[in-house]
Amino acid sequence: MGKTVVEADSLVKRYGQLMAVDHISFEVYEGEVFAFLGPNGAGKTTTVEILECLRPLTSGNARVLGYDVTRSEDVKEIKKRIGVLPQEFCALDKLTVKENIALIGDMYDRHLDIDEVIALLDLKDKVNEKFENLSGGLKQRVGVAAALVSDPQLIFLDEPTTGLDPKARRDVWAVIANLKRLGKTVFLTTHYMEEAQVLADRVAIINKGKIAAIGAPQELISQYGGLKILKIRGGDKALASLLQKKYDKVSLNGNGDVLVKIDDVDEFWRVMATLAELKINKDVEIQTPTIEDVFLKITGGIITEEGELK
Amino acid sequence: MRALTIFKAVFKNWMRSRSGLFFSILFPVLLLLVFGAIFSGVGSSSKYRLFVQNLDINATDATPSELSVAFIDALNSTETFGINEIPADENATEYAQEVLGPLGGNMRILVISEGFQNDLLNGTLKVRVGITYETMDMYYWYVEPYLTDSQKSAFQQGLAQMQQYNATIPDAKASLTIMLDPADSSATIVKSIVMSIASAFNYELIGAENVVEFREASVTTKHYSNVDFYVPGITAAFIMTNGIIALTATTTEFKRRGIIKRLSLTPLTKLDWVVGNVLCQTILNLMLAGIMIALGWVVFNVRVIPDAFSIALILLGSIMFSGMGMALSGFIKDVEAASAIGNAIAFPMMFLSGTYFPLEIMPSYVQTISKALPLTYVAEGLKHAMIYQNPEGVYINMVIVAVLAVVFIIVGSLVTRWKEK
Repeated sequence: MGKTVVEADSLVKRYGQLMAVDHISFEVYEGEVFAFLGPNGAGKTTTVEILECLRPLTSGNARVLGYDVTRSEDVKEIKKRIGVLPQEFCALDKLTVKENIALIGDMYDRHLDIDEVIALLDLKDKVNEKFENLSGGLKQRVGVAAALVSDPQLIFLDEPTTGLDPKARRDVWAVIANLKRLGKTVFLTTHYMEEAQVLADRVAIINKGKIAAIGAPQELISQYGGLKILKIRGGDKALASLLQKKYDKVSLNGNGDVLVKIDDVDEFWRVMATLAELKINKDVEIQTPTIEDVFLKITGGIITEEGELK
Repeated sequence: MRALTIFKAVFKNWMRSRSGLFFSILFPVLLLLVFGAIFSGVGSSSKYRLFVQNLDINATDATPSELSVAFIDALNSTETFGINEIPADENATEYAQEVLGPLGGNMRILVISEGFQNDLLNGTLKVRVGITYETMDMYYWYVEPYLTDSQKSAFQQGLAQMQQYNATIPDAKASLTIMLDPADSSATIVKSIVMSIASAFNYELIGAENVVEFREASVTTKHYSNVDFYVPGITAAFIMTNGIIALTATTTEFKRRGIIKRLSLTPLTKLDWVVGNVLCQTILNLMLAGIMIALGWVVFNVRVIPDAFSIALILLGSIMFSGMGMALSGFIKDVEAASAIGNAIAFPMMFLSGTYFPLEIMPSYVQTISKALPLTYVAEGLKHAMIYQNPEGVYINMVIVAVLAVVFIIVGSLVTRWKEK
């Protein structure tokens, strides 16, 4: 575990009666990818914007790279040291990819070589393309390039893949994975479960302004993910009824597969023996729990593609 | 330094934007062409339409009387009127309405009454006889001591006969009736011109000569055309609209799209941001002013030449209005509101600051309001610099504009919000 780069202590942000961020405390360590996972309106962006010195906090303490976000002198130091991809990143439409990245770079006393950053983000072919002509995925990549150009100690990526198609989303994931390989500290917010699970070293699940759980994805899954599932492909209601007589946790999914929750290996073999007795010859697979199961367990809901809690 | 980077980026972005270029440069240029064409009279006769009905017709041959025709010729000779004659047997207003058609236009009818020539001749004769009588009477008073009794008697007899003859001349006056629309803004001008011509006609007939000589001279040292006087006002007006409407809308759009928010996450300061944008708008305005004046030279043959004072005022005016635009955009959340608020401020200011219409013709309360409007000082300063070559008139306006420019930039920096709280 590296040194602490972000410390939030009982952080509160209130808008009138609405408590957007409700006494949250957490730390982010150097070199890790830390993910804030939660539905829309959970308080992810508000928290990040407090840490980026874009919004004032109501109460509590927050320090970024050792600097206090509430002190104006410290704010200047924080801004020199962080890189940000804001939610719904946008740049000057008529400027090219290179010009937009250089514009952000020139705001700093020192910045990386623009061509190197462009190469790192695999944008060489688009270097002279106007921003307005880029696809959503490429625009996000330009945003990440702009966040990296100052060679920041800490990078905030706020919902970097929202609204992108699956291919563009995976392209951005590859970029973030590359940042991780380069040893960058990344603070990621997302409402995509898979994104948090694949990319993050640690995940904080945030809902209604409060952190519900925090830890490495595997730790959270072990702690909250529940049982493994034996999936019997192409099963039917009759098979499900037969198995329900012997096992408690049997269900059917939308594809007609029979799902049996199992506690351990012994139970797996008992189910297999039952299938043999019933002369059922179907493909089976074991599903391990995911962050989605963790989220379901903790919040009682799931997050839709649009980021809403259901 | 960061302000310079912002300036370069925003300027480049603007120059590559067709709509930005259209509204900042081409639209003002097109409007200048329209206004220039109106004020310079290019392609129009620039005459007041006047319907004339001559009822003074000779009974014998049904031709108009000589003097009524001469009067109409006198009207024509001024080259001020486009005259449409209405036949004597037509209803004048109905005829004029029919000619003007559904789109209307101003109805101005002059009716020359029946007996115009006779009344004019009689009236003229009566005046002439009267003048002759008075002259002779005065002469008699001077020479009486030197006359013999018989000479005195003959003189008195002659004067008495002259008086008797004058009493036999009918006392009627030649009558002209002018019918005007109260809503016609040119009615007073038309009436004055017709009255002047009638007086001149009158004097000519009685043989009077002008004893007052009237000379015309320009208030400027150079000879300017009509459109020259509008160049400073139009230039000032577009510097204002570019600053208040275009810049406000653009920066509000930048805010809406999160561009300002992204830049705010860097070490860029609000002052850098405001100064960069103001600089960009100022350069655009200098370009615009240059194009407009060059176009004025080529198309309308204007003679105004911007001197160092004019350029300095254009520069300061641009900074002031751009600062005002930046200050406004600090309060505005969306582009639609930016456009509406920008227009709501810019358009009344345009018409209340003497850019298109001289302040002298405005009611006194408008003149008072105009003193509170920044555009007044830019327009007045430019008029003093470009037209009157009056440095004193430039200095005072320039100082006011410079002070307001600093105030608006400071306010703009203070109220700029990277993001709502």
